[in-house]
Amino acid sequence: MTGNDESIGADDVRATSGSARRFDEIDWDDYEEPGLFSVTPSLKITLLAGLPIVLLGLYDEFVVGDREATFVRLGSDLGLSGPFETLGVDFDPGSLDFLFMFTIVLFIAYVGYPLYRNGRMTRYYWREFKRNRPAVISLVWLGLIFVGGVLGPFLIAMPEQDLAAAYQPPVFASIDLVHTTGCVGEIRDGRCYGTWEHPLGTSRGGQDVFASVVHGMTVTMQIAFITTTIVAIIGITFGTVSAYLGGWADEIMMRFTDIVLSFPTFVFFLLILYIYGAGLGMFILVFAAFGWGATARYVRSKALSISEEEFIKAIRISGASTPTIVRRHVIPNTASSIITQLTLIVPGFLLAEAQLAFLGIGDTAVPTWGQLISAGRTSIDFAPWIVLAPGFTLFLTILAFNFLGDAILDAINPEAEAETDR
Amino acid sequence: MGLLRYILARTAWAVAVTFIIVTITFLLIALAPDPNISQAATQAALQGGDPTEAAQREAEMRGLDQPLHIRYIDFLQGVYTLEWGWSDNRAQPVTEALLEGIYYTAQYSIPWTILTIIIGPIVGLYSAANMYSWKDHLATGFAFAGWAIPNFFFALILVLIFSVWLNLFPLSYDPSAPVFSLQNVHQLVLPVFVLVTGSIGAIMRVSRNESAEFQNAAFMKTAKAKGVSPLRAYALHVMRPTLVPLSTTLVGQILVIFLGSSLLVEIVFGIPGLGRITFDALINQDTNLILGATLLFTFIAVMGNLVEDIVFTILDPRISYDDR
Amino acid sequence: MTANSTTDERLADAATGEQTDEPLLRVESLTTEFDTENGTLTAVDDVSFTVDPGETVCIVGESGSGKTVATESITRIINQPPGRITGEVWFKGENIAACSERTLREVRGGEIAHVFQNPQEAMNHCFTVGWQIVEAIRIHEDVPEAAARERAIELLDRVGIDNASARFDDYPHEFSGGQKQRVMIAMALATSPDLLIADEPTTALDVTVQSQILDLLAELQGEFGMAILFVTHDLGVVAQLADEVIVMYAGKVMERGSVYDIFERPSHPYTQALLGCLPEYGGAGGGIPGILPDPTAPPPGCRFADRCEFVVPDCREGDHPSELPATAADHTVACIHYGPEGDAGPIRDATPGSDRGHR
Repeated sequence: MTGNDESIGADDVRATSGSARRFDEIDWDDYEEPGLFSVTPSLKITLLAGLPIVLLGLYDEFVVGDREATFVRLGSDLGLSGPFETLGVDFDPGSLDFLFMFTIVLFIAYVGYPLYRNGRMTRYYWREFKRNRPAVISLVWLGLIFVGGVLGPFLIAMPEQDLAAAYQPPVFASIDLVHTTGCVGEIRDGRCYGTWEHPLGTSRGGQDVFASVVHGMTVTMQIAFITTTIVAIIGITFGTVSAYLGGWADEIMMRFTDIVLSFPTFVFFLLILYIYGAGLGMFILVFAAFGWGATARYVRSKALSISEEEFIKAIRISGASTPTIVRRHVIPNTASSIITQLTLIVPGFLLAEAQLAFLGIGDTAVPTWGQLISAGRTSIDFAPWIVLAPGFTLFLTILAFNFLGDAILDAINPEAEAETDR
Repeated sequence: MGLLRYILARTAWAVAVTFIIVTITFLLIALAPDPNISQAATQAALQGGDPTEAAQREAEMRGLDQPLHIRYIDFLQGVYTLEWGWSDNRAQPVTEALLEGIYYTAQYSIPWTILTIIIGPIVGLYSAANMYSWKDHLATGFAFAGWAIPNFFFALILVLIFSVWLNLFPLSYDPSAPVFSLQNVHQLVLPVFVLVTGSIGAIMRVSRNESAEFQNAAFMKTAKAKGVSPLRAYALHVMRPTLVPLSTTLVGQILVIFLGSSLLVEIVFGIPGLGRITFDALINQDTNLILGATLLFTFIAVMGNLVEDIVFTILDPRISYDDR
Repeated sequence: MTANSTTDERLADAATGEQTDEPLLRVESLTTEFDTENGTLTAVDDVSFTVDPGETVCIVGESGSGKTVATESITRIINQPPGRITGEVWFKGENIAACSERTLREVRGGEIAHVFQNPQEAMNHCFTVGWQIVEAIRIHEDVPEAAARERAIELLDRVGIDNASARFDDYPHEFSGGQKQRVMIAMALATSPDLLIADEPTTALDVTVQSQILDLLAELQGEFGMAILFVTHDLGVVAQLADEVIVMYAGKVMERGSVYDIFERPSHPYTQALLGCLPEYGGAGGGIPGILPDPTAPPPGCRFADRCEFVVPDCREGDHPSELPATAADHTVACIHYGPEGDAGPIRDATPGSDRGHR
């Protein structure tokens, strides 16, 4: 991730004097000593917070046995079993969880921190953004999904089978007793009524639908964060390198991008799934590996147009090397467009995962919305909540990502402003 | 005119892309253990035979004992001469099985594509002409929702409402229905509707935004000053330039849905098309058929991209063919 | 600059060319407003003028003075809404401001043609230039495709496009800026209009190309016997082309008169300030200090008061001054100093270029 150290990291207050300027226009070089591998604050955060996660992940991968819970083993290794047990620390995160945590650290370091450092710009964007009501609602919704996805699994236990509580209806709804094996709540006129114990009802196996939806949030957020990070890294690197090498290298790299773009990823993933079998990790890897084409193309054209700008020419004349220009000026200046682009490709990944899960060929080890929809399909006529709850959650999440992407585009793109004005 | 040369060069490139993808596919398969072999070995072990010997026999039978490069050349030959092998599960040649799938897939894909091409741009143009009015918001809202709702989920809901509760449409698809019959139209209404709503959103949005730009363009003022009527101005002067960016979205969007969601829609509605065949092959470990389906979808994707590029180049007079 | 020599020729024409017939175009209290977020913007405020057959009238003023909106309001090219046009537009004895959109479409392009400022964007990039000219012909005349094509090629040839029959099928991007404007002129002439409204047709072009286009317009005007309503901010162009001049500022007419009166006896401080910017009149090339008043809330009194060096307290009261006779019967000026209680002497003395000596 050395490629975009200062993605949006500038504390250039000078530029914000008077009316707010876009951060795209700020000269990013003013506030930092030059040098290819200078340690930026963002890099510091990544190292400080990310390194322990990486180490823990490696420890989990190579030291902890398959059937051991990571933190239990860690406790005994550190001689801290006692305190760990008292605190109830017995999580067993997988490698995806570690990757997820690491990407969150990256987001904090390269999106959150710069926004914080750039308080004035952030407030300006927020003002622009706030005018778009659907987008604000979308942001709140995605925030809920994020919090649910990160904290949910700690607060709500994994839904367990309970055949005695199959097909329990959601609160305020009821179901004919014919379909249920038992009823948790009240029984009136031969119908079983829902209770707050299962706010969204239960599935055929008696698993709580609400708990399943919450656990599905984790998967959703993992897909969103990890794929985005991978796509961003490959896309930005590929796009800028291609733009700056030019000539034959550019031609070959863009032809390669063509191939990546014409890959029917979904169908191809079925083939990989068939040959190798695939879990969620493989899914994320394959879709990210074939998902960066559009981003690379986009970054390349952006980089080319920005390199034509006068200020880049001036910097070049003043003797800066090409990699420095790319790293310090081109990438930060394309950051806003890249973020928009990334927001708009996440829905595709979420949809693909849900489709695979629906087909019953997704990762069965993790509870996803698609699986729940698939599981509820056979009983849709008398227990529609099993399909509807995760289905609408998925629908709204995809919708929210689209609205958000559009709104960011509007907020950072003054030309499009006229549209939100009216 | 450089157009012909451009098309030839672009087509040659498309062939090269398929070649690369076919090669990657071959490597994927060659580098992995064939499930059929392990199956044969397990079978032999269960029946008290020698698993290694059985595996070898199976490998020989499938030509897997040959060196890699010979197998590669054989593979390429097979792919490009359309000898895609025998589907064990369906007991028919792979190409035949796929053709049967195409027969059913085309029955809903063609109407869906035509409807999308007609309705999408018109709704977008209508929205642009009434920009920021309630008509625009309604159209945009519908398009956005239809676009964001997962097709398979939408299909399930529609089946629940219209087939289960209201009993307006048949619950199961009847493959024996004649193509041009009322029965066929009746049973295809829901799948086509689902796919049209899914694909129309992006097209409507692009045509709305692009034509919004063009309807305020200086040339529209010229047209008005010439005495062009508003209808003619929209239908010709706005529509024509809008088609240039739209062509890309149009082909791309239909491809995305064709290569992903339509498989799911087939499964929800029980249509025995390409998607259903691929899925069954996957479940039944029918390697040749899976490979054939993957290749077919790949070729369709490459063809789609080819068509997209050529159409775009033809539509935009400002692109000189030598530039691309 | 060639402007001076041509000015003299024009002045001679203007002195003898007394027009008494019914004017071709008579605009009466034309007002165009736009509804915007910040309130109602009055771009053109109660403007009247006439154009006689075969005559060239120039509307001159800074950008933002409402001259473009005024000309585009004549045939209602301005979109309504957000625009709102009131007033009368008498064209060949008919009030076209009151006629239906359908009738007006006959007039647009048929009898009143337009040439716009930026030829780069004024043509649709997806159609050949030939197609666009043929469209202009066939909208108004029921002629077969082939005949229209032939006429279009003739026109292209006439406006100076080399190898016209081959270039008929070329797209706009294959033409240079000057050539594009020639094509636009050919398109405007396609139906032999009686009035050509040319809105800064040379502003976006190179200086050398500018004068070629102006010469072409002057030639074609004689050939087609049409009147030209010419909008520009370039006084050099005005001197070269105009018979009559209308000076606009902030949506109002400040001064009007023959080209001779305007250049030799400019009477409004604004006209003087405009002329003062010309190098021939000792201008340093800078603009007039200050900015245009807010069009959504014009100040009371004279719109130019804030930038005027002859401003007196009375200037800032009441409505914008009405037009008063200045030096000749058809030379009027909207300035209170020319009123019964005013004293225009200091303004007359300040006429720019007076120190260079009258010829």
